[in-house]
Amino acid sequence: MTRASLVSRRHFLGTTATAAAGATLLTRAPCALGQQVRELNVWHTEVEAQTVKTIQDTSIAEFERKFPGFKVKQQALGWGDLNTKLLASLAAGSPPDLTHLNPFMTASLYVKNLLKPMDELVRALGENDIHEATLKLQYFDGKYYGVTHAMGATYFCERRDLREKKGLKPPETFEDMLKLCAALTEDGRYAVQMPGEKLYMGFVHPAEWLAANGGSWVDTKTWRPQLNSKAMLDSLEYVQKLNRFMPAGWSGQKYLDTLAALSTGKIAMAHLSGARTIGYIERYAPESMRDPEHFQPLLRPRGPAGPRGISALDGENWAVFTQSKYPNEAFEFLRLFYKKEHYMAYCHSVPIHLSPIFKSMLNDPEYLSHPRIKKWKSWHDVMINGLRANRFLPIGFSRPEDNLLPFLAELDGSSIVADMVVEVMVGQKAPKAEADRAQRRAEELLTQLGHKRWS
Amino acid sequence: MRKNAVAGWLLLAPSLLLLGGLVVFPVLYNAWLSLFDKHAFLPVQRFVGLGHYVYFAHDEEFWNSFGHGLVYAGATLVLQLAVGIPTALLLNEGFRGRNLLRGVVLFPYVIPTIVAVILWKWLLNDSYGLVNHLLVASGLARAPLAWLGKDYIMLSLVVTSVWQFFPFVVVTYLARLQTIPPELYEAATVDGAGAWGRFRHVTLPQTRSVLFVIILLRSIWMFTKFDTVWLMAGDGGVSRYIRTLPVYAYARSFTYLQAGMGAALAVIMFVMLIVATAVYFRVFERQEALS
Repeated sequence: MTRASLVSRRHFLGTTATAAAGATLLTRAPCALGQQVRELNVWHTEVEAQTVKTIQDTSIAEFERKFPGFKVKQQALGWGDLNTKLLASLAAGSPPDLTHLNPFMTASLYVKNLLKPMDELVRALGENDIHEATLKLQYFDGKYYGVTHAMGATYFCERRDLREKKGLKPPETFEDMLKLCAALTEDGRYAVQMPGEKLYMGFVHPAEWLAANGGSWVDTKTWRPQLNSKAMLDSLEYVQKLNRFMPAGWSGQKYLDTLAALSTGKIAMAHLSGARTIGYIERYAPESMRDPEHFQPLLRPRGPAGPRGISALDGENWAVFTQSKYPNEAFEFLRLFYKKEHYMAYCHSVPIHLSPIFKSMLNDPEYLSHPRIKKWKSWHDVMINGLRANRFLPIGFSRPEDNLLPFLAELDGSSIVADMVVEVMVGQKAPKAEADRAQRRAEELLTQLGHKRWS
Repeated sequence: MRKNAVAGWLLLAPSLLLLGGLVVFPVLYNAWLSLFDKHAFLPVQRFVGLGHYVYFAHDEEFWNSFGHGLVYAGATLVLQLAVGIPTALLLNEGFRGRNLLRGVVLFPYVIPTIVAVILWKWLLNDSYGLVNHLLVASGLARAPLAWLGKDYIMLSLVVTSVWQFFPFVVVTYLARLQTIPPELYEAATVDGAGAWGRFRHVTLPQTRSVLFVIILLRSIWMFTKFDTVWLMAGDGGVSRYIRTLPVYAYARSFTYLQAGMGAALAVIMFVMLIVATAVYFRVFERQEALS
């Protein structure tokens, strides 16, 4: 080893150390620069381009004018993406400052002390004016922990003209629905198609079936799962029969595929629909049929033991985390979001799908004057009538008190219900055996999660 | 000498730090995590020892997923070899347009998985897919087949995966084929060997070691494949029929929110692969010795 090579190595190590120190300093530099503009991170589930633009042009623009040191960064994410991303951000200890949450996730986060109360905001918005269907969904121990951004009913979307041609009335019961489906399945067209995503066929719809048949996810007192209850077994028998009237590959297709199939005449009813369907109809249905005379919402039928059919009410709530960096500013942002002109523009960005949570606005002539609401008024009316008749429950709820269950997100995530439904419907397995298997798995899950209250 | 040693260690330090931080630590942390009942995103945990492993030994979902994984890895491996080796042999021959064809064959392997899966799902869609259109138009099927439904989803997944990954076999095998001395083939021809004889007595023995590597790598990669399987069915209803162990491990961690259980599944897969690899090495070594 020569001296020259030793010096060279030292020189190399010295240079490396200097470069490393320089790099460290450089990486720190953007932090220092970033301190000048603070970022308010807002995540939501309204992914339509016009909605994103409306939020940007209204609430965000005014917020940034009022709080010059702040920049609002909005991220629009689909449901599934939101849940996964939220969990990851919570695990990392850096959640967004303000976010949408599904009501079935809120209790789970509340019991873990992750949410900030927002009573002051709710009162400022007008507690009495917020529709009862949403007001107390995030109300725990006398405090509000969320406020719904907007509400949109879900239902079947039917080809009304086809049903009327058959001389049939809208179905009231599971039996009526099966008769209607039998009548509408003909000439290579299927009567109905359910979306294949787990969230829908394995959580949202089973909750509706239970609710429409006098059942519930769990026993009210003991929280013991009720997946093999009479209410669920009746429902499984119903959907097993319903499967006959659905395209064979439905379990591999998605929600938007069902809307495309409906618009193009491949099916007579989409099992899951909201006012967003109107957009599909206006784009893909034959021009002469783009109207409510051909496409109409249909509320869910009831089971043999249920008083009324129940549909899921789509309406995430805003939430502020205890770990949020700028909670006060998040609340300020919400005040601006619900400011009448901003909120009106927001609701008009996808009319009817984003129906206002304020009772005063639901019948406000200004709100109703939007051309799409005027044209598709019967869709708006179905929702108003459904609200009046208590035909809606939040997504994934089998009864109103399910907002207190801190494990619905895990039950949805587990695939237990989805596996049961797909085996019964697609696999044509015996409902009782599959329900018993699901019951066993659900009991195991709740025990593992520490929610077992039964003996 | 000591100074040299210190300098050597200093130079190695960045790599060791990276390896330690990005490979060794996660593996050890994962093994440690598997002994706890740990919530996926909350600092809530309870020591359960080997409880998760005992649970999975009796868990029907685990065995279903294991079975799906074996079927998927086995079928895709055999088909990748069945398609890849003849293609490599063909591309080793001299003919017009060979270079272009070599580039085209690589195409499925270089496009992102998400693109490959979306493409195949579009082709196989039972409402508007090209495959069903062609089948019905040609009279081979009376009605569209539900390629993405319960009965055919595994087949669709296998076809997609084989299409996407067989170029790896082609490229690796072709590289070895090009290094076989032509004299060996000439000698075999002089000895009266036909095409099959030359393949059996020259090509196969010469490519034995590369085949060993191909089979080893592809079986490990297919058994642990997550993205293609996940993208094919997500966590939709039909995913039940193709749920493999990596997908089940993901679900336990990020949808059941049971990080400890997900970690235990990862450890189980790791051990399975180590054992399978060791057995495979042993068998190969024994056969090498015999030959």
